[in-house]
Amino acid sequence: MPAETTRAANRERLAARRAAEAAARAQAERRRRTVLGGVVAAVAVLVALVAVIVVQTHRTSTSANAAVPANTVDGTVISVGSADAPVTVDLYEDFQCPNCKAFEDASGRTVAQLVADGTVQAHYHGMAFLDTSANGRYSTRALNAAAVVVATAGPGAFQAFHDLLFANQPVEGGSGLTDAQLVQYATQAGAAGSSVEHDIRNLTYGDWVKTATDQASKDGVTATPTVFVDGHKLADLSSAGLTSAVTAAAAG
Amino acid sequence: MRWNAATAGPWLGTAARLVLGGVFVVAGALKVPDPGAAVRAVRAYRLLPESLVAPVAFGLPVIEIAVGLALLLGVFVRTASIAAAVLLVVFLVGVGSAWARGLRIDCGCFGNGGEVTAGETAYPLEVLRDAALVVVALLLARWPASRLALGGRSVAGTTDRKEYSRAR
Repeated sequence: MPAETTRAANRERLAARRAAEAAARAQAERRRRTVLGGVVAAVAVLVALVAVIVVQTHRTSTSANAAVPANTVDGTVISVGSADAPVTVDLYEDFQCPNCKAFEDASGRTVAQLVADGTVQAHYHGMAFLDTSANGRYSTRALNAAAVVVATAGPGAFQAFHDLLFANQPVEGGSGLTDAQLVQYATQAGAAGSSVEHDIRNLTYGDWVKTATDQASKDGVTATPTVFVDGHKLADLSSAGLTSAVTAAAAG
Repeated sequence: MRWNAATAGPWLGTAARLVLGGVFVVAGALKVPDPGAAVRAVRAYRLLPESLVAPVAFGLPVIEIAVGLALLLGVFVRTASIAAAVLLVVFLVGVGSAWARGLRIDCGCFGNGGEVTAGETAYPLEVLRDAALVVVALLLARWPASRLALGGRSVAGTTDRKEYSRAR
C-alpha cells in the first residue's frame, strides 16, 4: 500500500515542520521578552539613579542660613593664641578618636606651652566622622558642644573644653558622653547659661559640624589626628617631634 | 541525582551569584544612609574633579544595588557579572592608586567617609578581596547558568533539564 505510506510520511513531515515553527516562535517570543525585560530594567535603574542623586543632594545641602558659631575663623576654624605668633599649627581631630586622645595626652601640653609662649597660634579643625547609633552620634554632639562653648565664651574656654573632652574621652564603641555631661564640662570650661544647655541638646550647630567635616575632607585630611606646622604635615606626632618642627618653622 | 561536574556546576554558579550579589547589595546599601560620608569617601581618593564627586558618591550605590539584586535574583546574570567585574576593576585601580600614592585612606567600600582613625590602612586586604571577587565575576560571566535563578539560560546536559527550564 504505497499511497498509505506516502500519506503517513507527509503527515510526519508536516508535524515536524509545525513543531520547528512552534519552537522558532517560542524562541522569538523568549528573545522579545528578554529584550523587553532588559529595557524595563535599564529604565528602572536609570530612574532610581536620578531620583537617588536628587534626594541625596538635597540631604547633604546645608541650609544657607545655618548657624555659624561666633569666634571662629574662615567659617570652620577655631583659632587659639596670638595672631602675631610666628608659627601656625593646624590640628584636625575628632573628639571620639582614640589616636587623637593619645596625641593630646602626649603633646597637648606642648601645644598649650607653645601657644602661651606666643610662638604658636593653634588652629583647631573639628571633624565628626565617628558617629554611631551606639554612641548616640557622639562625634557630632561633642563638636557641636565645642562650637557652643567657643560661641558663648571664646577660644580660651574652647581650649579648656577641648582638653576636658579628650581627658574624659569615652571608649570607642561605647555610648559616648551624655548631653548632661557635655553641659557640665562646658560649664566647667567657662560657658554657662540656659542657652548653652539648649544649644548643646538641640545640636544648634549641627549643620556647621557637617560643613566642618566636609571642609576637612576638602583639605585632604582623611586620618585623625592630622597636624600641620606652617602648612607642612607633621610626621612625628610626639611632643619632641612637634617642638622640633615648630622650632625649625620659627627659625625659617 | 549523582554528584558530578555537570550537576555541581550550576550550584557553584548559584553560590557565586549569592556571594557576589550579596557583597554588592550590602556595599551599596551601607553607602545610602550617610551621603555626606559617601562624598568624603569618593573625594578621599583625589581622582575626580570636585564637580563629579557628589554624583558619583550618590549614584554608585544605586548601580551596586542594581547589579547585586540582578545577581541574587538570577536575572541578566551575564550582563550583571560583567558589570560587577568592570566595577571591581575600577575599584581596584582606585585603591591601587591610593596605595601607590601613599594616601592614608579607608577604601570606603562598605560605607563610611574614607577616614582611617588608627592611622592603619588596609590596602593589601582590600586589593585581595576585590581581586578574588573579580575572579568570581569573570567565572560567572563565562558560565552564567545556575540553579535557583529567575531568568537566564537553561543548564544543558542535565537530566532534569525540562524541569529546570520551567523553573528558571
